[in-house]
Amino acid sequence: MLTFLAKRTATLVAAVLLSSYAVFLIPYVTPGDPVRKIIRSRVAGDVVDESTVKALSDSLGLQDPLPVQYLRWLGDFFTGDMGLSHISRTPVADQVIPALGITLSLVIVALGTAVVVALPLGIIAALRQGGRTDKMITTITQSFIAMPEYWLAPLLVLVFALKLSLLPSAGWSTPASMVLPAATLALRPISFFTSAVRSGVIDALEAEHIPAARARGLSRTQTILHHVVPNGLVPLSTLFAVWFAGLLGGSVIVEVIFAIPGMGRLLYDAVINSDIPLAQGGVVLVVGLAVAITTLADFLHRILSPKVGGTLA
Amino acid sequence: MRKWPAIDAAAVVILILAVAAVAAAPWLAPFPPDAQNLAARLAAPGGAHLLGTDHLGRDTLSRLLDGGRFSMLVAALATVLTGVIGLSIGILSARRKGWLDEFFTRTNDVLLALPEMVVALFIVAAMGTGFTSLLVALTVTGWTPFARLARTLAYDVSARGFVEAARVVGCPPSFIIFRHVLPHLAAPMLGQATLRFGQLLISVGALSYLGLGVQPPQSDWGSMLAAAQPYAERAPWGILAPGLAIFVIALCVTLIGQRAARRAADPIDAIVMEGQHA
Repeated sequence: MLTFLAKRTATLVAAVLLSSYAVFLIPYVTPGDPVRKIIRSRVAGDVVDESTVKALSDSLGLQDPLPVQYLRWLGDFFTGDMGLSHISRTPVADQVIPALGITLSLVIVALGTAVVVALPLGIIAALRQGGRTDKMITTITQSFIAMPEYWLAPLLVLVFALKLSLLPSAGWSTPASMVLPAATLALRPISFFTSAVRSGVIDALEAEHIPAARARGLSRTQTILHHVVPNGLVPLSTLFAVWFAGLLGGSVIVEVIFAIPGMGRLLYDAVINSDIPLAQGGVVLVVGLAVAITTLADFLHRILSPKVGGTLA
Repeated sequence: MRKWPAIDAAAVVILILAVAAVAAAPWLAPFPPDAQNLAARLAAPGGAHLLGTDHLGRDTLSRLLDGGRFSMLVAALATVLTGVIGLSIGILSARRKGWLDEFFTRTNDVLLALPEMVVALFIVAAMGTGFTSLLVALTVTGWTPFARLARTLAYDVSARGFVEAARVVGCPPSFIIFRHVLPHLAAPMLGQATLRFGQLLISVGALSYLGLGVQPPQSDWGSMLAAAQPYAERAPWGILAPGLAIFVIALCVTLIGQRAARRAADPIDAIVMEGQHA
């Protein structure tokens, strides 16, 4: 377990360092003069004349070797200095933090909805394994995987916003404006969650303590609620974390379609406008969080199901 | 012949028809895909325009067939590319073991944690839009499922007696890989490739929808959807046609791929289950 912890943490650190190094290099690999691009993300005013560029380049240490510059950049980043946006000319940190908050709330609502839908579906399917209900639930939820978000969203907008005028078609002002984007985001996780709950419950049903619980006099419902369902939740918890991490940056399409000022939208705008500092800040934050969450989920998974650790082997 | 469930058989037929249709697009399409007819803007389906027209009076059916070529071609190329890379890395990991295996497994874990779309955005930011960066964006994270599967299966087959026997009698590693390991991996890898094709088709559409994939004048299903969206209320067929195309193709390959994956996971089980169907 300790070796596992150490290995995993080392991987986490290596991953964050490598990906942030790649992100740090963006000004150098994109067309244009890297020095001017970096100065633009560090100095508020517009710098045009050659002598000022030279002076700033020296004072910002832009002639230093790249690894030295990288460490300085990363240090600044972790102390909250992510530079100035090329477009809005305001600090990147002031933009990415609120955007992350919005995306977090969107993702939590979407995944919460997915769990609420998938849990009963998966349990029912498992209890009716092989039957008509199981086949129906499995086939329908599996088909959700094939549904592109960028098709579902316009369809939902067309029906619920344009035709029925029940919900807003875009924006992020009222709880009602959360419904369509959260529903769009929830569809694919519902598919994966249902199948995870189903197989988790099926495995739990076959465990030896089930007949034992029944023999102790517990009713079928009590057995299922106390012994089957909790065990069926283990695979769901890992999957939840994976999706949580994935959606932090994976909500780009939904945020663009519904004009939600979250992380996905921010990254998209940054790329479209070649706003390098903004893209750097957003990518490092999202990647760092995503890697941290999945690593944490891995630890939890080890604790929840010891057999993964190979103690049975 | 084992009997196929009707739904899987239908999926195969639809898929073959769709591939044939986009392959024959230049001959099947009633209009050139870019031919504008401003007099017939946003025309409803029917008459000369079977699926209606878009905001520039271009024939939706013709654009659907033409755009499908791009979408399916990129998805197929990305599937083959990620499949070959994943297969090689998986086999290499399983046969070399040691630090190389450790390295690839860790890389795999990390890539799995990275949001696919963020990686794609990053690559487009660094390389600019275009066919190559689209392929790179899909490949960088896309090889991992193949590598995981190939590694597991290659480990699995290496533990079998016949591989050990082949090694003992002095067969070179390349012979063992081509004669014993690859045939064992073929069916499950094909199943995985089918599943991945569907997901890659959706990803290609996603990037094009955002304007980061296909570049005008070429269009694909994703960019068609994006272009039709402002007119969704007046001309809903504009968003129905390309979206339905992606959904149906992705659904068909998912059904076929899941069937293949089930059989590959437990061939004996699959035969027994199919025996019940027959």
